[in-house]
Amino acid sequence: MEEIRTGVYICHCGSNIAGVVNVEEVARYVGTLPNVVVSRHYRYMCSDPGQDLIKKDIKELGINRVVVASCSPRMHEPTFRKAVEDGGLNPYLYEHANIREHCSWVHDDKKLATNKAKDLIRAAVMRVSHHEPLVIREVPLNPNVLVIGGGIAGMQAALDIANGQNKVYLVEREPSIGGHMAQLDRTFPTLDCSECILTPKMSDVGHHPFIELLAYSEVEEVSGSIGSFKVKVRKRARYVDENKCVGCGDCEEKCPRRTDSEFEMGLAKRGMAYIPFAQAIPNIATIDKREERLCKAACKEACPIRMNVLGYVSLIKEGRFREACEVMRRTNPLPAVCGRVCYAPCEEACNRGQFDEHIAIRGLKRFAVDYELKMGKHKAVPVERSKEEKVAIVGSGPSGLACAYDLVRQGYSVTVFESGPEAGGILRWGIPEYRLPKTVLANDIGHIQDLGVEIKVDTPVKRLGEIFDQGYKAIFMGTGAGMSQRMGIPGEDSPGVLHALDFLRQVNFGVKVDLGSKVAIIGGGNAAVDAARVAGRLGVEEVTVVYRRSRDEMPAIPSEIEEMEHEGAKIQFLAAPVKILSDNNRVRGIQCIRMEMGEPDASGRRRPVPVKGSEFTVEVDNVIMAIGQRVDKAMLPKELAYTDWGTLSVDPVTLQTNIDGVFAGGDVVSGPSDVIAAIAAGKRAACSIDAYLRGEELSVEEGGKVERLSEEEVTKVKERFASRNRVGVSKLKPETRVSGFEEVEHTYSPDEAQDEAGRCLASLVEGCFECGECKEVCEADAVDFDQTDQIIELEVGTIIVATGYDQFDPSVIPQYGYKKYDNVLTGLEFERLTCAAGPTEGKILLKDGREPESVAIVHCVGSRDQNYHEYCSRVCCMYGLKYAHLVRELTKADAYEFYIDMRCFGEGYEEFYKRLSEEGVNFIRGKVAKVTDEAITDEEKGKLIVVSEDTLLGKIVRVPVDMVILCSALEARSDADHVARLLSINRRTDGFFLERHVKLDPVATPTDGVFIAGCCEAPRDIPDTVAQAEAAAGKVLSLISKGTVTLEAAISTVDEAICHGCGRCEEICTFNAPKVAIKNGALVSSINEALCKGCGSCAVVCPTGAIAIRHFTQDEILAQVAALAEAC
Amino acid sequence: MNLEDIIQETKTYYCLECGKCTSVCPVARYDTSFSPRMMIENALLGFEDELVLDKELFSCLTCYTCQSECPSDVDFPVFVRKARAIAQGRGQRGICAHSGQLQSLARLMTSPTIKQKRLEWLSQEYRVSEKSDVLLWVGCAPYFEPIFEDIELSALGITKASLKILNSLGIEPKLLPNERCCGHDALWTGDIETFRKLAEHNAAQIKEAGVKKIVFTCPEGYRTFKLDYPNHVDLGCEVQHISELLAEKIGRNPDVLGKLKEIKKKVTYQDPCRLGRHLGVYDAPRRVLESIPGIELVEMKHSGLESICCGTSAFTNCDSCSNKLRSERLSEAVATGAEMLITACPKCQTHFRCAMVDKGEEHRPTPKIEIMDLANLVANAIGEGGKSSK
Repeated sequence: MEEIRTGVYICHCGSNIAGVVNVEEVARYVGTLPNVVVSRHYRYMCSDPGQDLIKKDIKELGINRVVVASCSPRMHEPTFRKAVEDGGLNPYLYEHANIREHCSWVHDDKKLATNKAKDLIRAAVMRVSHHEPLVIREVPLNPNVLVIGGGIAGMQAALDIANGQNKVYLVEREPSIGGHMAQLDRTFPTLDCSECILTPKMSDVGHHPFIELLAYSEVEEVSGSIGSFKVKVRKRARYVDENKCVGCGDCEEKCPRRTDSEFEMGLAKRGMAYIPFAQAIPNIATIDKREERLCKAACKEACPIRMNVLGYVSLIKEGRFREACEVMRRTNPLPAVCGRVCYAPCEEACNRGQFDEHIAIRGLKRFAVDYELKMGKHKAVPVERSKEEKVAIVGSGPSGLACAYDLVRQGYSVTVFESGPEAGGILRWGIPEYRLPKTVLANDIGHIQDLGVEIKVDTPVKRLGEIFDQGYKAIFMGTGAGMSQRMGIPGEDSPGVLHALDFLRQVNFGVKVDLGSKVAIIGGGNAAVDAARVAGRLGVEEVTVVYRRSRDEMPAIPSEIEEMEHEGAKIQFLAAPVKILSDNNRVRGIQCIRMEMGEPDASGRRRPVPVKGSEFTVEVDNVIMAIGQRVDKAMLPKELAYTDWGTLSVDPVTLQTNIDGVFAGGDVVSGPSDVIAAIAAGKRAACSIDAYLRGEELSVEEGGKVERLSEEEVTKVKERFASRNRVGVSKLKPETRVSGFEEVEHTYSPDEAQDEAGRCLASLVEGCFECGECKEVCEADAVDFDQTDQIIELEVGTIIVATGYDQFDPSVIPQYGYKKYDNVLTGLEFERLTCAAGPTEGKILLKDGREPESVAIVHCVGSRDQNYHEYCSRVCCMYGLKYAHLVRELTKADAYEFYIDMRCFGEGYEEFYKRLSEEGVNFIRGKVAKVTDEAITDEEKGKLIVVSEDTLLGKIVRVPVDMVILCSALEARSDADHVARLLSINRRTDGFFLERHVKLDPVATPTDGVFIAGCCEAPRDIPDTVAQAEAAAGKVLSLISKGTVTLEAAISTVDEAICHGCGRCEEICTFNAPKVAIKNGALVSSINEALCKGCGSCAVVCPTGAIAIRHFTQDEILAQVAALAEAC
Repeated sequence: MNLEDIIQETKTYYCLECGKCTSVCPVARYDTSFSPRMMIENALLGFEDELVLDKELFSCLTCYTCQSECPSDVDFPVFVRKARAIAQGRGQRGICAHSGQLQSLARLMTSPTIKQKRLEWLSQEYRVSEKSDVLLWVGCAPYFEPIFEDIELSALGITKASLKILNSLGIEPKLLPNERCCGHDALWTGDIETFRKLAEHNAAQIKEAGVKKIVFTCPEGYRTFKLDYPNHVDLGCEVQHISELLAEKIGRNPDVLGKLKEIKKKVTYQDPCRLGRHLGVYDAPRRVLESIPGIELVEMKHSGLESICCGTSAFTNCDSCSNKLRSERLSEAVATGAEMLITACPKCQTHFRCAMVDKGEEHRPTPKIEIMDLANLVANAIGEGGKSSK
């Protein structure tokens, strides 16, 4: 065993130590201790001559252990280790005794302090003899850097590092970088436009080849240590494809839902799809989806043309009625018509119906178009002809108009040929005016014409060749099924027997129809009900509808049947006419037979069968047959082929007829159906015609799936919302109705409509509810609701934290009236007011739009106050001055600064303060007691009164003003604690992150490789923030430049022979250094030397004593303790 | 104690001189020469004469409004209290109201041999027990009775009501025949010697009585026992205000007082400074009020922490400013539409009643409202058929 030869060196530290500790006496004493070969004292051991003493003794006296007694090891242990190493010894053969902080600085009694110094050095001498040489290792440092926070600090640090061609990952929680500085209007004291100086930097960050910007992302997990951190980042789903989005903002403009804009401090609204501000980087939209929709949007799926019901209902809820019409017109050419006569499959499907009552979607649709018409509809702008081809539409019913509408919007020239005198087809002549007023129809058709569709009336088409000859490249046949079916019973051709369609057509075109006092209508469809109600309006006293099935089977719209009955018509169910009875060429009645419902037939409907011997007679003067319609072949060109049902035969997918280039849809293909089905067919044909003309394959969209809510989902809705039935609409009284053709149903008032629309389940969730409006309007096809959060794993060597600050919420000081009075603002709110791009375009305005006549600026709100934050927020005095300047510059108002002390410490700051005095700003020294609207004089009426003591006058003042700006404190981020844990860094009691040394290491943290910059460390202004960011970048760059990390040598070791592999070390270690695994057949722990910090936690919990920490072994510590114990 | 000690003890040196104390001070609102900030500044600059010889030193209500808002957490009321002790040493006592009777009584009671007939009012109607471990503190009530006869204040009425409540709760308390003044007023006007003697005498009697809990009807006595006695004497028992005791019992069992009579009244509540800002008891009296059937509680514009003082403390410097404050506070009470103002402090009631018999300031009549102690209201609700009443 080697001989231990210890040298001990006692530092005077000038008079710091020697002034209290008798260093000569200590040195003499130490010389007597075992193994001590030399004991010296010297004025400054840390000086070069001091260090040389050690080196010389190593060489000349052959000492192999060194003890220095001086200041704190935190200060100079590294210095002396280095000296020992330079002298040729292993640096770990060194021990440090602290006789300054532990003796001279804390004791007055010189004798006791001297004795204590002797004890501490004796303990060090005893310990040092047990020290072993340790190997210091270096590992490579990953040159990639993580910067957390994309405010000015994070951006500056990222740019500095990236400009050195090092990879930087910049993680920002918000959709855009820029931080608070992007919200500021001007910067003190130079009054530079904040945005002007910031946006070039933002742009540099966005485009830098060495910066990977991860915006709308948050760091979730950090492991590892300096040189090799592993980081997990959650990149939140924007529901927008970043590679496709061009930042045009169309999605935001069309988004039906608005919320307070965070960027504008709630002074303006933003959409759920939004870009926070014009200069955002990345300039990509984000969809603010917070929870899943409560319904399945069954309305949209049930609609044959998939109208965006959620979208327009929600716009109505928000009072944006014109925009609601726009949304409707995007899919529906005839919203006013559908708002009245559609059978509304959407309503039946509406998921709210499972909860209480379905939404009155049809009524809302009607309301929006009616409102638009009432307020003055803007004429539609004609669509530019972008395609050469011309398309002909035959028939101006709903299918023809729909086809024309979609084609003209795709840029085709479209002409509609109508055989009748007016456009509209069955809508014009088949639906009575009390259900669909002519003006309403004309409005919808007018819109289609405005877009550029030409309608030629009184132009029947006999030959298809004619059309093609005129240069049309495709034809759509939408001629309908306008011919009444015959029943085939005796007497059907008697005078006095009418067919419903002829009857309705005559009435609609004003032809007088003579009816007797009793009329029977045969049939149960919409035409039958219409005919019955029209007959009533023409003065018929007794209207009887004869229908062969029961009420449940009646195909007419139920509400229409109900209204018909209200108007006095009777229904004979389960009765079928067998013969029309007439006298003298005049109908006198119908002979009917009773029916009963038989077994269901192939279609699933139960067939009525006659009951033998149940004949009876109904006495009537006229019979109107309404048993169905068919296609009138005589009206159609001869070359077309038909199905067995007498409808046009078309390809089920392309809707092309047997003739190339000729397409057909609507009733002429399907047989009699409803308006929305006809519109859907017209739209499908338009798609097909477009594909045909472009010579492309038709891509078929899959139909929607109408889903119902599960029981659990219904329960969930019930738990959250109270049931509320639909808002009803008023109707004409039946007595009034029958005297004319006035519209029966009234429309909603705006309030009623908003109320009803507010019931829509979809829009009851927070945030985006996936109405899909953005998806519809996005030309780049960037919207992607299937996106999910992504976890991105990064490997970096160093981390800079620049997470910034939160603004103190002054509403916790009720005396200041924030959120109580309209014109009490925070600093950031005022910044947005003066900003040219802000909600008032840079005008300082009160909530009522007036310009203020006087403004008070209240300093130290939440700062320098034991009740809130003790610290000074450092920037408020200066920004308060800036506000006063802006008030004076932009308005004629008086400005009052209520301050305690003016702290104007930076470059040009004091000068700015002086300038403000020249500008006539009133300075009142005093902390404001309260802001109130209780006037006690006439002068105070209608004002906000700021009460304070003017401490320089010793008088309480009440200053009436129009606006109060609260200079709110800067406070630590609300989640600073979470971030601190994530990175193993610390916070001060004020909540901000703790630096390693307040003066000499201000951007480092106690965790190696993690640095802090900007307001996350403490409140500071922009110049200081930038300087700190550059400092942090400098620290990182110096590490990258060195390229390696020196590993701590004093780390844990495991004696594998003793270890049980219990795993306690694994649990306690915050650095993940120990790992328990099977080694040579036994479960044992081993230490990852690159991760171990030598903190010793594992050694403490190790139950067997298998773990030891090098340089802090039991022998070493016990020797030291034993030496100290001698003193007691 | 000298000025420097006071500054050290109350950490007055943290003062930012921001003036918030003055601008929130109810006295400074009416008396423009009164400035807590200036008093502190005088102290910090060592201007003892300016501080302690100024009669304004005794105008502070020690209501704790300033302290509750001070950004530097300066305890101005305690600062004032200690400054008054220096003032007393220099012959300053403030202007004693009611010819100094109340101050004299306190000083008289420091005599160890004085014979009092404190409990002569006690009738068979109330059950008390020598063996009880609960003590009901009677305080100044018997002395107040003749002094405030003219303003129809019955302080003993509050004591009796409290006894009735305690009996209803099944408690037969002990009463001390030879209580002394608690010393609150002496302490707050700087007469430390008187306070110390009273405290020592009381503590000795309570020790002898061997009780576990003392119940107070007066927040001043309560505050003094709870916060000030521990600095001078050892009591060795718990202290509680009657409203806290009631709230606690009602919280555990809403029917603890038996079936209460319905009192159909809209009432408002005056937070006594001692109970409220000094001790933070805001909820208990309100919970008691809400437990009485028919009572509807409406709050005044300023309530809880922001409540306004009744205008006088320690029967000193009861000046025109005091009356303006009372008038303001009574206006607030009337403005609520309440039929009755409930207090939980006999002193508040004294001062408000006093103001209501005045002509009123500036020829405007003082607003009038019926005023009653919380204990009386509860006792009325218990009625004749009270649970344990004979």
